Amino acid sequence: MTGLSVRGLTKVFRTKSGSVHALRGIDMRVEPGEFCVLLGSSGSGKTTLLRCVAGLEKPDSGEIRLGDRIVFSDNPKTFVSAEDRGFGMVFQSYAIWPHMTVFENVALPLLHGKRKLLRQEVRGRVAHALRLVQLEGLQDRPAPQLSGGQQQRVALARALAVNAQALLMDEPLSNLDARLRESVRYEIRELAKKLNSTVLYVTHDQVEAMALADRILLIGEGRLLQSGRPHELYEKPIDPAVAEFLGTMNWLSGKIRERGFVQTELGLLRVHGAEKVGSELLLGIRPEDIRLKPVPSGEINEFRGEIVDNTYLGDHRLCKLKTPGKTMVAKLVGTDMGYGTVHFQVPEERIVVFHPNHKGKEESK
Amino acid sequence: MIGPAVGNDTTRPFTGRLKIDARLLLASVGWLPVVLVAGLVVVVVWLSFQVITPGQSANFGWRAYRELYGDPFVYQTLLNTGWFALLSVAVALFFGVVAAWLVERTDLPYKNVLFTLMTTGVLVQGFITAMGWVFLLHPRIGLMNKAIASIHGMEWATVDIATPMGMGVIQGLALAPLAFMMVAATFRSLDPALEEAAAVHGMGLISTLLRVTLPLAFPGILAAGIYISTIGIAAFDVPAIIGLPNRVFMFSTFLYFRVQPEFGAPRYDLAGAFSTLMIFLSLLLSWLYIQVVRYSHRYAVVTGRAYQPKPVELGRTAWLAWVFLGFYLLLGQILPTLVLLWNSLLPYFQPISWSSLDIISFSNYHNLPWSHLLESARNTGILMVSVASLTLAFSVAISWTVTRSDLAGRFVLDAGAFLPHAIPHVILAVGANYVALFLVGKALPIYGTIYILLALYVLAWMSFGTRVLNSAILQVHKELEEVGKVSGIPLLTCLRKILVPLIAPAMVNAWLWMALLSYRELTMASLLVTPHNLTFPVFIWSLWMEGSITRAAAASVLGLACMIPLVALYWVFGRRASGSDTAI
Repeated sequence: MTGLSVRGLTKVFRTKSGSVHALRGIDMRVEPGEFCVLLGSSGSGKTTLLRCVAGLEKPDSGEIRLGDRIVFSDNPKTFVSAEDRGFGMVFQSYAIWPHMTVFENVALPLLHGKRKLLRQEVRGRVAHALRLVQLEGLQDRPAPQLSGGQQQRVALARALAVNAQALLMDEPLSNLDARLRESVRYEIRELAKKLNSTVLYVTHDQVEAMALADRILLIGEGRLLQSGRPHELYEKPIDPAVAEFLGTMNWLSGKIRERGFVQTELGLLRVHGAEKVGSELLLGIRPEDIRLKPVPSGEINEFRGEIVDNTYLGDHRLCKLKTPGKTMVAKLVGTDMGYGTVHFQVPEERIVVFHPNHKGKEESK
Repeated sequence: MIGPAVGNDTTRPFTGRLKIDARLLLASVGWLPVVLVAGLVVVVVWLSFQVITPGQSANFGWRAYRELYGDPFVYQTLLNTGWFALLSVAVALFFGVVAAWLVERTDLPYKNVLFTLMTTGVLVQGFITAMGWVFLLHPRIGLMNKAIASIHGMEWATVDIATPMGMGVIQGLALAPLAFMMVAATFRSLDPALEEAAAVHGMGLISTLLRVTLPLAFPGILAAGIYISTIGIAAFDVPAIIGLPNRVFMFSTFLYFRVQPEFGAPRYDLAGAFSTLMIFLSLLLSWLYIQVVRYSHRYAVVTGRAYQPKPVELGRTAWLAWVFLGFYLLLGQILPTLVLLWNSLLPYFQPISWSSLDIISFSNYHNLPWSHLLESARNTGILMVSVASLTLAFSVAISWTVTRSDLAGRFVLDAGAFLPHAIPHVILAVGANYVALFLVGKALPIYGTIYILLALYVLAWMSFGTRVLNSAILQVHKELEEVGKVSGIPLLTCLRKILVPLIAPAMVNAWLWMALLSYRELTMASLLVTPHNLTFPVFIWSLWMEGSITRAAAASVLGLACMIPLVALYWVFGRRASGSDTAI
């Protein structure tokens, strides 16, 4: 398996209505055998980045290496076309050739691709790939007769069968229904780890990203906002945008009153690392970190509020807590607390602190 | 890794190996016909500035334009062409729009039959309809005129077909099926919810039709009208059959007359000057057409709807609709064909009477110049197969480059491929005639061979081919090719194994349609045919022009008979993926 590295990549799309800066200087690495997920909202540039790596788009500047082989560079000018890069790829639409059978879909790249195999070899290779995705026995089924989930597996088998340098996946699960998505997600992860594949995977779904990734690369407006292991991004986002993207946040803005204490909309809050008296801070608290209590316990950072909305969601409830200065969202697992007055605590160690002046700084791993 | 790794992929060198970029190969194949068409247009414009004095080398100047400007004959021709085009658009739209509405928006019984008759009607050669109408409405000998004149006091009601307006009506009848196809596509793409909303809110049928349906369809109808006028101003078949023998000239027959004069030297300069004016007019009309089409798409429903809009119930008025349609079919197709059949059985042209029944025979068929006929049929057959195949190959190259590659200039290529749609074919034929005779004649002796017809037909129909393939390729998801590319399949293999099988229905459709167009083509051939490269339509036309009109009728009947299996073939294989609004 081969690693992948991208340096200073930029790409501008010129359309009739003006230029769109899809990539504004991306630096990233994918280690051999690593499962990396490019996460971002639509229009963030993540798919463009993946297509640049695949060779389907030509970047304007920067460099892309596959292992130690340069596949794109603006200086000296190098562009290895997609068919010579040796990736396997799974597309959002699956891109199963509808005029062929399952076998032919998997076999076509082996028979006509850059690394032609002998016919007998192809048979074995296709059978093996189909066994990996649990489609043995469906070899001769015409592609249009497959279900969405089966087409997805054929697409995966086709990408695996070419013995790719690395696998590229562009939102491969977004056309599956919610339940199937979860099981296929698990299988993809398992398969990638079993085969020790290098994977670059694009999604806009942060749950999917966290479930799959060894490392998440969060992309926004053509830039890499932060990269790290899923829990690092979730718990220690370096940027409010990152924090917001990975899940709901309660935002409080405040000013440091004295060392360790910040005046916020809730009241005075004890915050770890609030050093510089007088400076402004942005504080984030995840809904699941807020602890609701029927009676006050006298702990620090405890406030009183009123539950004004209480939504039942099966395994948890979302409560809207109204306080004089701010309405907060809290996630409640366990006993229902109904409506009305309640006490809640914001644990000091769970508060994420942002210095508004320094936001958008590049990550340090 | 799955199975044993093959080769040592990672260390394979990837630069320094000479390889031809398949994209550039395709693009250059695509550019070839576009450059040739543009070249023909340039030649025609260049011809218009030539000043030829016998015994001297050519100079350049405005003489042709000055001569054109001072020639009353030219004004007469322009006026004729104007009336002719106007009438043909009016008649074509009148029948086409009503028929399209009946088929697409009402519960008319047997509308499939009507749809079949109208779409195949596009392929009936205009000159066959025209010949039929000469037999019916010739000023002196036409059957209908004689019948009218025989009624005492009705002599004033006879019709002279050999006038611009008479010919315009005949041309309009021949173009009505095309108007039908284009307008039917417009009606089909209108959101039925808009009409249903009107109905729900209490508007009646007529009121909905006038205030909702027609205004919404208007841009589409206007586009059809403009497109038909571009055909009308350069139509050749009807003016050649009816106008030429009666010395009534249109633009197209004017060109023919100047390039293939009965006596004297050809006047390429005059033909070029007149053509240059018409090129400007045609480009203007095409520009309008594109604007209107763009505008008309605003109301179109893009996605296919799952539910069937409720059709307007004709109820007891359905018979009225069929009377109207029957009237059209009678005038446009049945009467001309029957009268041709009748006359093909007579030794000389005469009215229908009991006595003429005694002399009907197959002698016209026996007496046809069969050696010429067979040769022309063979040429036409070769042209049908080779023109359709070559045009398709060029169209794949052009359409792929335009829709799929990121090569610079692909929009220019697309516009260039549209050029033969905009510029009348008769003008391209004038250019080809001159080029073959005087420019490349020595190096490339193609004048008088079927190769020049082959080349010109391919250029003329690449616009049709590329329109059909552009929309077919756009319907194939791009990722189907991209996944092939990423998995290492070279471009040409991707095309052969993935794209071409997926657009095969559209390709079969385009191939058959272009073969049928080659079968019926008279306009371009008339300017390029010599005794050595006779085609079947020219064979019929030359019989007509030499006065053997009953034998011409016999040959036409044979031609129509041959077309039946061809149309059936098209009906079975081709019609599935038809790009109907780009027909012709």
